[in-house]
Amino acid sequence: MKIIRCCLGVTLFSANLIAADFVETYDTIYNSLTVERRGDLVELRARARGSEALESAVDLSDPLKLVVPYTRSLFGALFFQPKPQRVLMIGLGGAGFHRLFTAAYPDALLQTVELDPKVFELCQTRMEFKSTAKTPVALVDGRMFVKRDKQSWDWLILDAFRGGFVPPHLKTEEFYRECAARLSERGVFVSNLHATSELYYSDVKTLQAVFPQVVLLGVDGRGNVIACAVKYRTPVITDASQWPEVAALANPVFTGRLDLVALRREQIPIPTGRMRSARVLSDDFAPVEFLDALKSNNSDRKK
Amino acid sequence: MGFQLLASRLLNPHFGSSIIVWAWLISTFLAAFSIGSVVGGWISNLPPRPRHRGQLAGILIAVITLAITALFGRTLLGLIEGAFEDVSTALLVSCLGIFFLPVTALSSFGPQCVQFLASRGTPPGKASGVVYGVSTLGNIAGVMLTAFVLIPHFHVSTLLYLWLGVAVASLAALVRLLRVPISAS
Repeated sequence: MKIIRCCLGVTLFSANLIAADFVETYDTIYNSLTVERRGDLVELRARARGSEALESAVDLSDPLKLVVPYTRSLFGALFFQPKPQRVLMIGLGGAGFHRLFTAAYPDALLQTVELDPKVFELCQTRMEFKSTAKTPVALVDGRMFVKRDKQSWDWLILDAFRGGFVPPHLKTEEFYRECAARLSERGVFVSNLHATSELYYSDVKTLQAVFPQVVLLGVDGRGNVIACAVKYRTPVITDASQWPEVAALANPVFTGRLDLVALRREQIPIPTGRMRSARVLSDDFAPVEFLDALKSNNSDRKK
Repeated sequence: MGFQLLASRLLNPHFGSSIIVWAWLISTFLAAFSIGSVVGGWISNLPPRPRHRGQLAGILIAVITLAITALFGRTLLGLIEGAFEDVSTALLVSCLGIFFLPVTALSSFGPQCVQFLASRGTPPGKASGVVYGVSTLGNIAGVMLTAFVLIPHFHVSTLLYLWLGVAVASLAALVRLLRVPISAS
């Protein structure tokens, strides 16, 4: 009896240990990361500039839930390409976007490119992401992948942050042209921008230098803006009244997790006033770190 | 070292900004410092006439290769990127082909400055300390200036021409300073 009680105690202790809260820090080749579990919530944060930026989060009790608000806005691409069959995502994070996407579109290919092998490892071991044939992950620089991989994509999502900012070579006019060349005929390029610094105005100006149409979706209260851009001039996508009806985009797994009606209302104007003095970023001129350090008051971000 | 920052900006669009890029770039510059120092030490012990020829050869190599980098750097990197599937091989060829020679040539002048001071009565240890101390301070100034002033405000291509101009002016001044009367031999 004593042995059984002892074994039971060890088993319960082990189970408790697996499910226990934890805070772990990792200094990887490219990032300083913190992974924290509180109950069912696991967060992946990048330490930079004396603070921690939330990169990704997953609710293990409902992995399809979009915990980080901007991942919800990434689905704004549905308004411009409602039937994604081939999606390329540059930047894995904790794969917060991936789970709902693959549940909604089980036949679609979601190819991810991630530079940091440790991020991929943590995503699997701490955030319970399972890479499959439909969700392959390539460990390579995003620009290298886009240059060398000649496939076309319905959605091409750029969400590659390193320590709080996107590497300069993933912000340039030349890179956006390379991305545009990989989009299918009605494909959409989606980029997660930070509207908190002067870099934002250069970002939007650079997107407009490459893509004839750009739509901005403002994520409430977080400083994120999701830019959706296409390489065609017609049909017009900048007028939200012309977007497909929400009912036509609805998916059973979106219920309670993704409010497309609210998402439709997130469109914000192009900050044309502040963009006048901004410069287009190119391979020859991309002072991304410098512009990112110049904080903006974003006075014209809201309608 | 400021040139190294510019070099990284040249390489990033072609090969990304992974640790592989930095490993090849830093190793190439260190190899160039190393070989340049050895060659410079050898030149500094030559008789005045061949020494002068060696200095002129160093200047020519530095100026011509810096001009090639400024004029054709991106074109060459595009060709190399297309020619080699393996990233490390492409980076090796890029770094050796574009950055190794100018940095080697420029590095060869350090030991010659040491020899110059030593031949004028400065103890060799002190001469060496002064030259490498000043050189390192110059590197710090170059890095800070490039990172905080030049890259934020100017195109990389413009800065490469600026680098070329500064190299021509400073090398001309240096070769004049290091000139030894042939009769002194």
